[in-house]
Amino acid sequence: MSRHVRRVLLAAASLLLLISTGCWSANEIEDVTVSIGLGLDTAKESAFEKEINEQGAHYPKENVITATIQIIPPINAKKGGQGGGGGGGGGGSSPSSEKAYLNEQLTGDSVIQIFRQFSLRRDRPIIGHHLKVIVVARELAQKYSLEQIFDFILRDNEIRPSCLVVVSHRSALEALSSEEPGEIPALYLLGVVNNRYRSNKILPPVSLIKLDSAMQSGASFLLQNVVTAKDEHKFSGAAIIKGDTKRWIGELTQYDIEGLSWIKGDVVGGALKTYASRGSYTIAYEPETSKASIIPEVSGDDISFHIKIKTEGSLIEDWSFPEVPSSPQYIHELEGQFEEEIKKQIRQVLHKMQKVYHVDVGGFGEQLKFKYPKRWRKLKERWEDIFSHVPITYDVNVTIKDVASSTD
Amino acid sequence: MNRASISAEDKITTSQAAVIIINYTLGSGVLTLPRTTVEAAQTPDVWLSIIISGIIVTAAGLIVVLLCRRFQGKTLFQFVPEITGKWLAWILSFTVITVFLVISAVQIRVMAEVTGFYLLDGTPVWAIVMSFMWIGLYLTLGGINCMARIYELILPITLIFFLISFLLSTKIFNIDYLRPVLGSGIMPVLRGIKPALFPFTGYEIMLIATAYMKMPKKAVKAVLAGTTVPLFIYLVTIIMVIGGLSIYGVQTRTWPSLDLLRSFEMEGLIFERFESLLLVIWIMQIFSTFTVTHYAASLGWSQLFNKSLKPFLFAMLPVIFLIAMVPKNVLEVFKLGDIVGNISIFLFGGVPLLLLLISMVRKKGGNPN
Repeated sequence: MSRHVRRVLLAAASLLLLISTGCWSANEIEDVTVSIGLGLDTAKESAFEKEINEQGAHYPKENVITATIQIIPPINAKKGGQGGGGGGGGGGSSPSSEKAYLNEQLTGDSVIQIFRQFSLRRDRPIIGHHLKVIVVARELAQKYSLEQIFDFILRDNEIRPSCLVVVSHRSALEALSSEEPGEIPALYLLGVVNNRYRSNKILPPVSLIKLDSAMQSGASFLLQNVVTAKDEHKFSGAAIIKGDTKRWIGELTQYDIEGLSWIKGDVVGGALKTYASRGSYTIAYEPETSKASIIPEVSGDDISFHIKIKTEGSLIEDWSFPEVPSSPQYIHELEGQFEEEIKKQIRQVLHKMQKVYHVDVGGFGEQLKFKYPKRWRKLKERWEDIFSHVPITYDVNVTIKDVASSTD
Repeated sequence: MNRASISAEDKITTSQAAVIIINYTLGSGVLTLPRTTVEAAQTPDVWLSIIISGIIVTAAGLIVVLLCRRFQGKTLFQFVPEITGKWLAWILSFTVITVFLVISAVQIRVMAEVTGFYLLDGTPVWAIVMSFMWIGLYLTLGGINCMARIYELILPITLIFFLISFLLSTKIFNIDYLRPVLGSGIMPVLRGIKPALFPFTGYEIMLIATAYMKMPKKAVKAVLAGTTVPLFIYLVTIIMVIGGLSIYGVQTRTWPSLDLLRSFEMEGLIFERFESLLLVIWIMQIFSTFTVTHYAASLGWSQLFNKSLKPFLFAMLPVIFLIAMVPKNVLEVFKLGDIVGNISIFLFGGVPLLLLLISMVRKKGGNPN
């Protein structure tokens, strides 16, 4: 190559540098709206929608689903004129009106269309990369299969599969609302899930990817249930999703969830309360570890299960008055009573699973599959029918290791 | 006189040969491997298929080395005419070159698809692909020694980031997803072998690289190292992905390995999300696969025509680009990958054995010892 050609090439390459710096398809964070929570309800048009429809702002659709998108931060630049640059500082003065989030609702029959419809209403388009929680209303999950509802969400490349999924007993909008100043309901829901070490009434979190695996596997499964009243929330119980229809068929109560957590052996905290037989006063046990094994037994055509549960923990509350000293016999007596209580919880959840809803959400089929894979392949189509009549026995062993910081 | 012959200084060490094999093997395959194997086998036992495939591939690699050692200092394109005669050699070389080109193109396209989907949403495909290819050209122009050196740099970085991000997924790992072992017998495991073989293509570079080795006697060592490292990486991938997503979840995900990383977030670390990090790092692996095959194909032409290599390196670039743009969507890319995978199994698994036997019978080539 001659020097001349070389120079021309060098100049061309430098020019290329000029145009190819920076990001091609960059989206500045100031120019987008971050959606952090998504609520899915059965169709219920908001007043705003009704009004704009009257003005002819209508497009061909059926009203199937109402999506609530929770966005942060709320865009209130129109109101507060004085805070030119930093928006974060001035918020403290009027706490009552300052919400840290904004809920937007639209109704339609396609989730993606609803999402895109928001861009007619917002100058800053909504992005889904930071979606943390999806709340599905019970009513919607009862009407439509979760596979239909979640189809777009599972295909999308913005929404991460790590997003948490919960079911709300009432509307999802309520579950995503809060009166607490500064609280972001989506993050609140996410936070409560992390309290599992404090309570065995909370289910292990189900993320989108776990939901997808559960739906594809064809087995019934549970989703955390959220109840709401007066814009306050509580995690309570679980929604049962039937494996073949992927629809909501019922609920387990908190008490059932406790029983289930013993069966699954994943109790890492919580409190087990019962009443002492000798004076019917309150006693409570705090489990530290729990282990459970579900042992399937097959003899001929008969299938049965035996559950072995072992837990260790401490006596954490004792209302005996006058105080009964913690002698070994007394501790042993209490252990027996805690065992009875656990059995009672298990009995109740097994009844719900086998007799009321006919679903196996305790992992019994799975254990059968692990131990007798050939038998399982023959049974798996009819498993939940069979499961409803399978005898299940259980023994529980509670060991009180210590009596916390009080000895009497 | 012989312009395509190998210059004395452009030689590689044994470990460089191993690194070339590893970097060629590791590529886009790891992104889809869990899905392709589970789809075929329908059991969580596919990690067994991976191990079996690894053994098969090692055997195939050893055959390749045995063959090449009979013809010291010569690449496949140069020694095949001695074994089969000119015409058959032409057909064979041409097929090998085509397979290299298609592998190269598939890598490019998969890279473009996956970065377009997860990283650079909105950047046109040609913009991603062309910058990638030009840098690749810059590297291949430097010769095999240059390439080997850059691969030596790439390999530890990619492996470390790969292992870190995959091992972090223990957060969602559930051992029950991998049970029961051999629950549906050995047959499904065998069905999983074929798709598990595809991402192991890489040992065939020894058909060319052996000629460049300073000590061709140690080529066996290079092949062993070159297959065990990918085997280990693939085992980690398959176990962590199935343990995280279950075999039901894996089958519906287009890019299961990336979706595994998308399925958890780590709070309190510098990075919360690992898929972009891994993807950015892993692109280097795809880059090395692309450059090796690009180089091998161009070298093939140059040695067939006995002309200098440089113009062919330039000429192959648009060819690869065009092949890469043929598939209309990602499903067609996978199909093309399957086709070329199938061909390469026969071409690089079966043909070298045949050539070895013929050359032994016809007493062609020197005795390796």
